[in-house]
Amino acid sequence: MSRVVVAGSKDVISPVVEKLHELRLLHIVNYNGNQPEFALGKPIGKAREYSENLIKLRSVTRYLDIKNKAPEKTYPESQVLSEMDNLLNNVGGDVTATYERIVAIEAEIKSKQDQIRALTPLSILPLPLEAYHGYDSLATFVGTAVTPVDADVARVSPVNEIFTGTAKNATYVAVFVPAEKASEVSAVLSEHGFSEMSVPKLEGSVDSAIASLNGSIKSLEGELAPLHKKLVDVKKQYEDLMLATDEYLSMQVSKTESPLRFAETDNAFVIDGWVPSDQYGRLKSELESAAGGKLDVQLIADKEADDLVKGGEDVPTKMDNPSIVKPYELITRLFAIPEYKEFDPSLLIFVFFPIMFGMILGDVGYGIVILLILTLLKKRFRTEGWQQLINIVMIAGVWAVIFGIFYGEIFGPLGLWNYMVGMLSHHEMIELQEMGLFFGEGTFGPLGRLGPLGIFPLYRLATNAVLLLIGVSLFIGVIHCSVGSILGIKTELNYGEKRHAYFERLPVMLFQVFFAIALLGLVMGQMIMVYIGAAVIVLSIVMMVMGPEGAMGLAHVPSYVSNLISYLRLLAIGLASVGLAYAANQLSFYVIMPMLSGGATNSADFSILAIIVGIVILVAVHFINILLGILSPFMHPLRLHYVEMFTKFYSAHGGGVEYSPFGHVRRFLKA
Amino acid sequence: MVVVADAGILYGLLAVGAGLATGLAGIGAGVGEQGIGAAVVGVVAEEPGFLGKGLFLMLLPETLIIFGLAVSLILMFAWTPFSAIVTP
Repeated sequence: MSRVVVAGSKDVISPVVEKLHELRLLHIVNYNGNQPEFALGKPIGKAREYSENLIKLRSVTRYLDIKNKAPEKTYPESQVLSEMDNLLNNVGGDVTATYERIVAIEAEIKSKQDQIRALTPLSILPLPLEAYHGYDSLATFVGTAVTPVDADVARVSPVNEIFTGTAKNATYVAVFVPAEKASEVSAVLSEHGFSEMSVPKLEGSVDSAIASLNGSIKSLEGELAPLHKKLVDVKKQYEDLMLATDEYLSMQVSKTESPLRFAETDNAFVIDGWVPSDQYGRLKSELESAAGGKLDVQLIADKEADDLVKGGEDVPTKMDNPSIVKPYELITRLFAIPEYKEFDPSLLIFVFFPIMFGMILGDVGYGIVILLILTLLKKRFRTEGWQQLINIVMIAGVWAVIFGIFYGEIFGPLGLWNYMVGMLSHHEMIELQEMGLFFGEGTFGPLGRLGPLGIFPLYRLATNAVLLLIGVSLFIGVIHCSVGSILGIKTELNYGEKRHAYFERLPVMLFQVFFAIALLGLVMGQMIMVYIGAAVIVLSIVMMVMGPEGAMGLAHVPSYVSNLISYLRLLAIGLASVGLAYAANQLSFYVIMPMLSGGATNSADFSILAIIVGIVILVAVHFINILLGILSPFMHPLRLHYVEMFTKFYSAHGGGVEYSPFGHVRRFLKA
Repeated sequence: MVVVADAGILYGLLAVGAGLATGLAGIGAGVGEQGIGAAVVGVVAEEPGFLGKGLFLMLLPETLIIFGLAVSLILMFAWTPFSAIVTP
């Protein structure tokens, strides 16, 4: 990135902004207005008109429930311009009127429904509705009471009229007393748990009033349907055009309002910004030709730029990865944008993440099902974020298939694999078990068992396999963490913090690597490795204490071990997934099917019903397992990256700012 | 040598211990994540950009289960040293 200053005469501000917008190269640094010589710029051209139109359009699209989506059609700007007036005023006005009518009708229906709700209980009182209203000298109390009120009301007001009715565990009373007794009666009524209801001001009997209300609700609802249909039709007809117009107006607004981010004098403007270093020449020549010489583009020297950065300006970061690594930027971005001098971890995620996913899921059947589902989803969800996410999981799915072959799993261990590929003979199996080399009963067909000690295909639920995978997980952890530590050292050196690099980052790596070597020595019985490991561990702790944190650094030591133990999840989550698949197969073939066939043990004797029920259960459990099998193998490696790896090198200096050049990527508009 | 306990019972107790180790660690991690998760959901509702960091915080206590699991694995596979006690 290079820091540039663009200064020019105000006469050419419009063509310059136009050109900048088209080039999409300059990451503008907003002028903060604290230099007395320069004022903040003012919007140019018809900024106000564009904003007003945009607001109008947005309200219409909201009424129509139009959301941003992948474009089906694109429009030339001239068509958008010629149809904009019609779209905003005629179509827009129509939509607004229709929408407001719908809202009004819905409000009316709601108020009528409220009235019905208030009227329904009154039907048990023998009074017409007009009897409740329009008295000068009478006070009316209508509502529910917990205990009978007659006697007490009569006590305070001898002149009274009381009607009582009971329905649905509630007693409804209507009390009429002279107006001057109202407050005393009210006090008495409240002693009986009276709660008042409002009576709608209607006439006639309660039942006929409810019937007429219901009738008018019906007719209002009838009126609604064509209105809704109208909105749907308008949406279908104008959806893409509206989105194109929205895009056009947004572009115009951002162009016309861009001077707000510039510094201005009476006759000139100044734009500060960052541009990728290799694009500086292009920016300069294009801008100068657009302005016809009334403009100057200056490159700021590195030293001066460094001073600006020290003063709090952020150098924008443009993540630049090969297209296959691009999707993994999503995972990086979710955590933080790398700072300009920091290492972009997307490449590492690309290397480690799919392998970890595959190692956890490791099933040929599941891998293929995931790939199939994602191929379908890829066509449905076309926005960039979804495409990236789908690509990440697809690459991971391929690794799941590869590890599935190592593990000998097709929809769970052994079962299908043994049908499709091959199985050890019984005596070979017994022999392996006696030698303590039993890694499962499957083979690669005519190839037999492969790998050192014949460990592949590896039946993950076998004791030997679990022990082996514990080791493998820990060593993946050591490699993963070490790569993180090395990058940490490099990043600290980039920032010129030698002490942090050699006495904070390096000891972590030494500790973890030699901890693993000592463990390996223990397992292999090579005590020399244990002694060397222990010696270096002590050395690393001493270095830590000498480092910038001093003795406080010791507090981190347990976390170095727990970081490594955390990698056991690569084994553990995988075991859970195999376990569930295994249980599904066992349940279906060895429990449900024999049970429903009256205890038949031979698969040829299973009844049709037993086979159907068995398969339904099999499919259901495997389906759940596949869903979990996408979720946890995704989340846990993610955590291993975020917590175990990133903490070693990433974001120690706070997140960066993404390079977002002034301009717009056209989607609905033709260039 | 003195027989301290029946091998079957000893193995059974080891299995129960292993189950408790993973199970209780799981409950502990769950309790930890509950509070963090609720807070993270609250923050992400206000500021979606916090999702990654929130996830990071929420996944921190998960290591606890793995510790429990490590203890379980040791219990189950370190059965051989224990078996020495019962060999006559």
